[in-house]
Amino acid sequence: MDKKYIETMLSKMDEDLSKQGMSRRDAMKLAGLSGAGVFMGTTSATAEEEKIVKNDAKAKIVIVGGGLAGISTAARLTLNLSDPDITIIEPEKNSANYQPGQTLVAAGIWDEDDITYKRDDFVPDGVKVIEDRAVFFNPQENKLTTEKGQVVTYDYLILAMGVQLDFERIKGLEEAGRAYSSGNNDKLLDALGDSICSIYTAQGSTKTWEIMQKYIAQAKSGSPDKKTKFVFTHPSTPIKCGGAPKKIIYLTNARLKEADARENAELVFYPNGGAMFGVPEYHDAIVGQFKREGIKHHYRHNLIEVDKENKIAVFDSKWQEKGPWDPVMKDFEVIPKHEKLRVSYDFLHISPAQIAPREIGESDLGSAKGWVPVNKETLQHIRYENVFSIGDVAQVPMGKTGGSVRKQYKVLVDNLIAHMNSKKLNAKYAGYTVCPLITDIGTVMLAEFDWTVKPTPSFPLDPTVERWIFWLMKVYALKPMTMYGMMSGRA
Amino acid sequence: MQIEFELVTYDDELDKFELDETIHQLEISDEDAQSYELFRSSDLNLYNWFKETDSFLNYVNEKIYPESKHNKIAISDINGTTFRRFYFFKVTSGDSHYEYFKKLFNVYEESDWQDREEVGEEILEHLMVKRQDLIIDLNEYKTEDNS
Repeated sequence: MDKKYIETMLSKMDEDLSKQGMSRRDAMKLAGLSGAGVFMGTTSATAEEEKIVKNDAKAKIVIVGGGLAGISTAARLTLNLSDPDITIIEPEKNSANYQPGQTLVAAGIWDEDDITYKRDDFVPDGVKVIEDRAVFFNPQENKLTTEKGQVVTYDYLILAMGVQLDFERIKGLEEAGRAYSSGNNDKLLDALGDSICSIYTAQGSTKTWEIMQKYIAQAKSGSPDKKTKFVFTHPSTPIKCGGAPKKIIYLTNARLKEADARENAELVFYPNGGAMFGVPEYHDAIVGQFKREGIKHHYRHNLIEVDKENKIAVFDSKWQEKGPWDPVMKDFEVIPKHEKLRVSYDFLHISPAQIAPREIGESDLGSAKGWVPVNKETLQHIRYENVFSIGDVAQVPMGKTGGSVRKQYKVLVDNLIAHMNSKKLNAKYAGYTVCPLITDIGTVMLAEFDWTVKPTPSFPLDPTVERWIFWLMKVYALKPMTMYGMMSGRA
Repeated sequence: MQIEFELVTYDDELDKFELDETIHQLEISDEDAQSYELFRSSDLNLYNWFKETDSFLNYVNEKIYPESKHNKIAISDINGTTFRRFYFFKVTSGDSHYEYFKKLFNVYEESDWQDREEVGEEILEHLMVKRQDLIIDLNEYKTEDNS
């Protein structure tokens, strides 16, 4: 735990709180957090570490993916095994970047440096790293092959490879897609140009802030009769952090208001789905916030093409019509309808389609859709009992957030160690996830929920209310909790 | 107690179901009536229980399809509980059928963001497997009787 870092962040938070005439203890009381330790900078790590009885089971464990999920899992295994033999396979040096901060970078609240972290600074002592990409999996023989041709054998395999962005499926952005696939971020940003942005890469977040400022300036010099048009999308695939496409809308809205340019701007959201959020209570709250802020939205629109030259976004617009009576089913049919809708934009923020890494889908480890099919509670592969999966790549409902990983990695480690000891897998993930939905600069609605599809608030407060205290948590507390709590296997 | 039921016939070659369109009535024993009460609130449990009862199998083999070419059948309705969606679901079927299958096959959370057509195709894939559990091969029972 980097206590110095946490102390610095807490000191910043205290400054903010004192400006509001409030102490940290008062803030905790307001949030019902007394004793939670989150704002106190303690994670009771020392106490927990003392309680751990290390397990003597031995096995060669290979983790594919060195992001938040992979490293947190490696760290917790290291804490729990007396003689761990763990290898992480990860090609990217910056795989430990703090992705939840990308929205804040995109709104100019943080810099890219604030979210840039080196993988090797977080790899636990004793854990080996193979800086390469796993490209061929042979689960029948418990081995895999890397891009450079190294064959790696294992007793247990943990798949934590995250998702891939798929710009390539958008006509007009094929070059951007190819640049992303080849890992060339500069080329990706060049291919998107000066009016299209996406917060889904660290550099893309910085570029989003640049482009946002440019069009806020345009709005400021415009008029209500000639509005600058900000268009935002949400794709037809699962995405990591389903709230992110809305967060960037709210932050753009906040910056426009701050610049006194809001009335000269039009913000329009085109989500593929038919609701703002899967949990009705949060859906209703967001619809209310959009109405309050004058943000327009049109459901069931999937971005399929971009005409960069003419600044036109083309959507597959979908709706349904009542069909004929079906006498056998004793019900009316529903006829899906589509048409292409061309929408002009000045600023276009794209939340791209996201897919599982192709090498998983092409192997026997992947499902027909590419994700890793696991028992959603134990996180064990449905066909290979020595394979587990966690995070974005796992086929777990609603599980593609850092908040989900925080619950999952402990379950996975408990179950993996149980399996190593030939015991029953008793630990169960219940679908908890959390989305600190930034609704303005200074307010966050803390959307917590699980597979019951109902709010599951951790604090005794109305979860649909936007609160400044949760903004403080998002900006000051969650990063140290993630980077130094989770990544050390403790929080 | 009397149970009212309807059947569908299944054509192996065409992989197609056809509604029989005859309403059958079957008198069941007190013991079966107790079982019926136990299973009636859970449609698939009701189906699995009823299709295994001797009274049903005997009735179908002896009264409905004694010499029939229809060797494979399934039950489409039992006392108002319908199973037709399992055989006749299509991508254009109404929302209630989508909701039913999304819950049954646990595709709700996985497919919430997807298009109706894509969810429909996924349901149909699940149904290809599920239908095999529901189909009753009358030959099996005839063979058992003969042996």
